[in-house]
Amino acid sequence: MMFRILWTCLALTSLQVQGSNAAAQVPDEYKVKAVFLFHFAQFVEWPDDSFSRQDEPMVIGVLGENPFGDYLDEVVSGESIKGHPLQVKRFSKPEEISKCHILFVGVDGMGQLRTLLKDLESRAMLTVGDNPAFIRAGGMIRFFSEDSKIRLQINPEAARSSGLMISSKLLRLADISIPKS
Amino acid sequence: MWLAPLPLKWKLMAVMLLTSGVVVILTLATFLAYEFFTHRKTAISELSSIGSIVASNSTAALAFDSPQEAAEILAALRAESQIVLAGLYDEEGNVFSVYPGGAADQLPPFNNEQGYALKGAYLEGFHPVVEGDVRLGTLFIRSNMAKAKERFQLYFILSGVMAVGALIMAFIVSSRLQKRISRPILSLAKTAAQVSESRDYSLRATKENNDEIGSLTDAFNNMLAEIESQNRELQARHIRLGNMVQGMGDSYFSLDADWRVTDINHRALAQMNRTREEVIGKVIWEEFPQLVESEFWKEYHRVMEDRTSASFISYLERYSIWIDARVLPQDDGVAIFYSDITKYKRAEEEVRSFNQKLEAVVAKRTRELEAANQELESFSYSVSHDLRAPLRSIHGYMNIFAEEYGSKLDEEAMRLVNIIQHNARRMGQLIDDLLSFSRLGRRELMKGTISMEDLVDSIWDELRKEQDGRDIDFTRATLPPAFADGVTMRHVWTNLLSNAVKYTGRKANAIIEVGGREEGDKVIYFVRDNGSGFDMQYYQKLFGVFQRLHSQEEFEGTGVGLAIVQRILHRHGGTVWADARPDKGATFYFSLPRR
Repeated sequence: MMFRILWTCLALTSLQVQGSNAAAQVPDEYKVKAVFLFHFAQFVEWPDDSFSRQDEPMVIGVLGENPFGDYLDEVVSGESIKGHPLQVKRFSKPEEISKCHILFVGVDGMGQLRTLLKDLESRAMLTVGDNPAFIRAGGMIRFFSEDSKIRLQINPEAARSSGLMISSKLLRLADISIPKS
Repeated sequence: MWLAPLPLKWKLMAVMLLTSGVVVILTLATFLAYEFFTHRKTAISELSSIGSIVASNSTAALAFDSPQEAAEILAALRAESQIVLAGLYDEEGNVFSVYPGGAADQLPPFNNEQGYALKGAYLEGFHPVVEGDVRLGTLFIRSNMAKAKERFQLYFILSGVMAVGALIMAFIVSSRLQKRISRPILSLAKTAAQVSESRDYSLRATKENNDEIGSLTDAFNNMLAEIESQNRELQARHIRLGNMVQGMGDSYFSLDADWRVTDINHRALAQMNRTREEVIGKVIWEEFPQLVESEFWKEYHRVMEDRTSASFISYLERYSIWIDARVLPQDDGVAIFYSDITKYKRAEEEVRSFNQKLEAVVAKRTRELEAANQELESFSYSVSHDLRAPLRSIHGYMNIFAEEYGSKLDEEAMRLVNIIQHNARRMGQLIDDLLSFSRLGRRELMKGTISMEDLVDSIWDELRKEQDGRDIDFTRATLPPAFADGVTMRHVWTNLLSNAVKYTGRKANAIIEVGGREEGDKVIYFVRDNGSGFDMQYYQKLFGVFQRLHSQEEFEGTGVGLAIVQRILHRHGGTVWADARPDKGATFYFSLPRR
């Protein structure tokens, strides 16, 4: 996949196809995060009723500002998890959030975030964000940087209460953080 | 086969050891092969499962770019001491993590191979790292097989030790077991060797079991018993034969192929004037050099070569004895039976010379007799012939005298003249008969088949004409033909029939029968009458010349007739005989040989 991405980048830059600027503009940090978002699909189990059909797409939603540009689309393009093709949806406002399985929450305001996540609690949706207070606000996985590497902070309890199972393999890599309620 | 020259016990042991050795080696080889292949398979399967676990555990580390985590996961391989190298490649084939740390340069460059293979002392392979459907990277893992090899070597050594141990056990067991099989055979063989060495057929092998060797022992013992009894029989026969040879009347000795005397009986020893010890084992031609090139020498050699028996009679000049010898081939040599037949030979000689003398005497006598007979015959012929002339003169002159001077003579003189005439006639008749008798002796017989019936009938016709008024009852039965001289046969029949007529002259009812029959190689005829017959007391005179049983007065006759008949029949090889009683008639028989 990485190869394909590289190849795509190379193709885009060399052929000067439209949108190449967008890809080029995405910082490395978000490229990694985009890939991580894709990988979450493999290490998290959703409840059975999350998919009404066998081939229903697995949706990765991006709420608010889209830091990934088109890169996320490129990453998931053509991929599928357990028969569910991956799809990227962008939501500019929380009200727009339709059915999705992984939601990258690009919201900064703490209060706003807390309300949003509270609302989403009942929906089987893996919430991911990079706001430092994201876990405290009730989020499930937070990206953070350490020694110039992207690391993960995970609140497995939040995920469990939404009916999601996070693989122990993933948990082992991450900082486990369960905020006092 | 290399086993062939070995003794039985070694063969048995070799067979058992070979069998058990093959079994042990095959078992161990199977075990080792099994061990080798299963071990390999197990090693691969083990390494594969380790690889699977590590790969599975490494997914997150790869997915979320955590080399430390990956290093930790790989470091868990420490627990598996045989794993000497492991490494994770990311999706692009770059080394992501390595175990042990710092061994990155030992990792082989990534390629897209999968699966495990032995490479030298190592078992190594690439294992894909997959989470869900997504390939996240590749795991390389290398296991050192040296330990397995060591273990395998240990197995090998253990197997060798086991094999040797098993063979030693097999040797111990087989050396005990073989005795159970070989002991009866060896004891049998020992007995057989003893028997053949000592020629003591009363020995018996001991039977140990009821198996095949037991029955072999039985058969062997039966054979020994058979040989023993045959030997006894042979010995008895030998003694009987020896007794026969010693006791028989012939001399006997036997020679081997080199002409040495092997046996000799008493009689031969007595004849040679030697003792048995002097002769046995000696070469016959050296003992009796005078026999070399003799007839014995030649015959012995011939029998020795041809192997056929010979029988001969030979005169030994040196000993002046005749020997009757039989030479028979016997074993490699010859057996000679002989007897001294000098006595018989002499007796035979004597008989022969006596016979020769006798024959000479007989021949001389015969010649003398023939000459005398000849003389007598010619004498009687000439006498008869010469007598006839003067008698005829007497008769003729007597007739002239009776005619010329009959009238001048008185009755008495006339009676005397008649007597002279009658006697002269009778004398003439006698001389005629004599002449015919002597002629018959010289006459050549012309033999042919003649009908006796025709002959008898024609003679009877003539005789009847001479009868003046006599009534004779004549019957002729069927007569067989004869092979004889017709002229003389007519003489025989005429004589016999006229005799019958003559001697029935005084019978009122004369009966004459003629008959004949064939009997064996003869034909017999008879003439029977009921005439005066004769007394059998005088039968001897019946066929003599001039011998008469009746007086001239009673019946006329010269006494030559039956002598002539007998002579004729003798000349034909036949006989004549008669049977009669006085006054009861006579029967004359004669026989002739059939052709």
